Amino acid sequence: MKSNVIFFLGLVAALGISWGGIVMGSNAQLGGLAPFYDDSQSNAFPQRMPGIAAQGQLVYKGLGCAQCHTQQVRRPGFGSDKDRGWGDRQSVARDYIYQPAPQLGLSRTGPDLANLADRKPSAPDASDLLNLLYSGANGMPSYRFLFETRAVGVGAQPSEKALKLVGALEPKAGLEIVPTPDADALVAYLLSLSTPYVYPEAVPFTPPKAEGETGAAK
Amino acid sequence: MSTTSEYSPTDAASRWPLLLLLIKGIGWLVVSGIFALIASIQLTTPNFMAVCPVFTYGRTVAIAETAFVYGWLANAGLALALWVLGRLSGEPLRAQNWALGGAIFWNLGVFAAVIGIAVGDATGFPLLELPRYVQLILFFSYAAIAIPGLLAWAGRLRRVSFASHWYAAAALFLFPWLLSIAHVMLFSAPARGVVQPIIAGWYAQSAWTLWLAPLALSVGYFVVPKVTGKVLPSYEFASLGFWCLVFVGGLTGGRHLLGGPVPAWIPSVAVVSCALLFFHTFVVLLNLRGAFSLQGTALKFIAFGIFAYVAGAVMDAVTSFHAVALHTQFTYFDEAQKQVALYGAATTILFGGVYFALPRITGKAWLSPSLVWAHLSLSLLGVMLLVVSLCAAGATQSHDLLDVTVAFSTIATDTRGALLGATAAYGLLLLGNICFLANFYGTACEILKISAPATFAEPEALETHAS
Amino acid sequence: MSEPLNDDPRVDQAKSSDLGVLDAHERLLGRHPDDGARYRLLPIAILFTLSGLILFAGTYLNRYTAHYSGVVFDENQKPSSGAPVAVKIDPVAQGKTQFNAVCITCHQATGTGVAGIYPPLAGSEWVNGPSSRVIRIVLYGLKGKVTVTGKDFGAAAMPVFGQVAGSAYNWSDEKIAAVLTYVRQEWGNKAGPVTADEVSAVHKALGDRKEFSEAELQDVK
Repeated sequence: MKSNVIFFLGLVAALGISWGGIVMGSNAQLGGLAPFYDDSQSNAFPQRMPGIAAQGQLVYKGLGCAQCHTQQVRRPGFGSDKDRGWGDRQSVARDYIYQPAPQLGLSRTGPDLANLADRKPSAPDASDLLNLLYSGANGMPSYRFLFETRAVGVGAQPSEKALKLVGALEPKAGLEIVPTPDADALVAYLLSLSTPYVYPEAVPFTPPKAEGETGAAK
Repeated sequence: MSTTSEYSPTDAASRWPLLLLLIKGIGWLVVSGIFALIASIQLTTPNFMAVCPVFTYGRTVAIAETAFVYGWLANAGLALALWVLGRLSGEPLRAQNWALGGAIFWNLGVFAAVIGIAVGDATGFPLLELPRYVQLILFFSYAAIAIPGLLAWAGRLRRVSFASHWYAAAALFLFPWLLSIAHVMLFSAPARGVVQPIIAGWYAQSAWTLWLAPLALSVGYFVVPKVTGKVLPSYEFASLGFWCLVFVGGLTGGRHLLGGPVPAWIPSVAVVSCALLFFHTFVVLLNLRGAFSLQGTALKFIAFGIFAYVAGAVMDAVTSFHAVALHTQFTYFDEAQKQVALYGAATTILFGGVYFALPRITGKAWLSPSLVWAHLSLSLLGVMLLVVSLCAAGATQSHDLLDVTVAFSTIATDTRGALLGATAAYGLLLLGNICFLANFYGTACEILKISAPATFAEPEALETHAS
Repeated sequence: MSEPLNDDPRVDQAKSSDLGVLDAHERLLGRHPDDGARYRLLPIAILFTLSGLILFAGTYLNRYTAHYSGVVFDENQKPSSGAPVAVKIDPVAQGKTQFNAVCITCHQATGTGVAGIYPPLAGSEWVNGPSSRVIRIVLYGLKGKVTVTGKDFGAAAMPVFGQVAGSAYNWSDEKIAAVLTYVRQEWGNKAGPVTADEVSAVHKALGDRKEFSEAELQDVK
């Protein structure tokens, strides 16, 4: 290439095309997405998560949970997402508009969490999640640093928030394990994860069946 | 000044910024290797070092990736890009103090990023885990380092430019734009909802195709004809390959959002772009196939790197189709494909470049031939073991994921064997890189000693016909 | 010149100089000699590959992007023709949601109402009777004494639900049809569904009016 200027302009054009197309194009389509108002329920969806859950999302982000967990359900035909109870429909853009830092995730070393609060037959509750965070599982590390082991005062009642653990993990007599505010926020965030509403664009697409007799109009 | 001699005063005059960048780069490579090894151990023994919040798995992986990309790849890539541009310009690098200052601040920034991630400020975006406060430091440092390179390109001796020029100039020019766009749209004025992961995906793919791959390719295009003594075959198509990469590279942004909560056109455009990129890879293979003559240390690394580059492009294109992505998405296959590209291709080509460049920068031969061989064999063996192990783990994992009856704890047990293989691979790679660091440090210290300089053969005229 | 050039792994020897690389490739891009007029297949192969990839790209993009629509998330889906898609909602399910949101406070979840105040819906002859009566009750409200299943109710008036002057709810005809369909098949009731067209016909015929009384309704067939 003989001309520096043309080369330089070519680079600018190339970057501009991908930036304009992918970044600004998607921003134009999705950047102003509003919640969907349902007349029959007189409510708009998605609903905002409570403040403590938004804090919990920052804890989730800082711990790097997205390295092992996704929060995006694929459509029913594409993988075992629906069969595993992770969601009845594909996640769509509107599910994430009120999340300050969507944690879509890239890898499923652990299960998908997009609808954790809606799991059937039974969704986990706060104590289940706290126990899991403390003890870890086969394949999931333990997060002991999210908890504080402290002494129960003489003659005092154990805290309501103390974890109820059995076996090897049970604390010594006179000690209790309570979650730190980070743990509480994280659990509040996990319990807010649910996308039950079926938006018009989220209705699963079923390909039209080809009619045998009338299909001869080709 | 004589420009036909292989070791010229131009290299000696440009020595310090390049040596600083390279020693820091190799240092970060070792640091990243340690964290990658810890992370890999944690996949099979989750509670390894999990007591300390700094070493929780999510942060270990982020630190390893940041140190690898912004520590090793950036430093070595920039050093070699400056060196190549300098040699092709025929003059010593100008504005060297800018590069020196930029290098110091860049590495301070990466250090701050690693500390920031360790205390929980990771951003959660792949390949952009740098905490927000570090990004501006890196932006300005990069601009400072790029100045000598762009001056060397603009003020070059011959009006004609060569493929190495294009790739190096593209990398030097495009990265600050990528970083600043990502910074503004993800952190200063965050986009709404799912647009953030789209932009993050665009940044990650563009960082590979428009920044890291060009840095490696500029080295490859320079070293191969120099060592083989032959003109690059099919060089007429090199510019077509270059423009294909630059125009199509950023469009692969939606590559990892297949089936995700984004409009279907974004991953479809990415699928198509991955296929089109295969043309660029084909052209690179045609041009650089002379590397497979394996003469000298550099070409052994570069040949492996080209092979990995092609294999990575094929893997990328094939796994982007929905029918295949059904099995490979969200599994260790994605990790394998990332390692083929970042380690197998970019890193190995940069290794070749460092082995070729250092005797010319310092005037001394590499200190220990056995460390050279150790590094070569451990790296190549390590990369192959890593990719095969991760693919095996991915195959088991995808089979188990698609079977509804298999619980995740069972998946962890099933993939354990393959993941131990990956851990062994990381160990081999770390060992090889420690040899590399020791050899580099020893060679660089030779400058201060009075010892025999490296002897260079007098280069011949380049054959104008490719065979 | 046949000495082995690159047998020392510590120093890689170069066979050409930097400017030699630049010059040789520049000459290559210029007029290069036609050696023996050999026809080179490679440019054709490269052009073929590129054209093939572009053809694939165009076809794939045409098929799998739904015309770059921002609301299509499944790549197999065709772009919408622009006409609004009538989403098929189960009227019973929708009616149940509405009932549980509003009607349940008075008529109770079991449809039994509260003795003396709110009439029951379960087993009510008004609910199971002709749909014209219940449509009027929900659309325009009911005031005054009413006898349901042999008992008298009159303490509370049934509010106005339709899109009528003075209504606090302004339910559309579809919503009224849905809630009536639900009520007429719940708790053992076995009356037929009510369609939105029936409700609209009544609404159109009567326009705006005040609440019905029991006597007026008994004249309605």
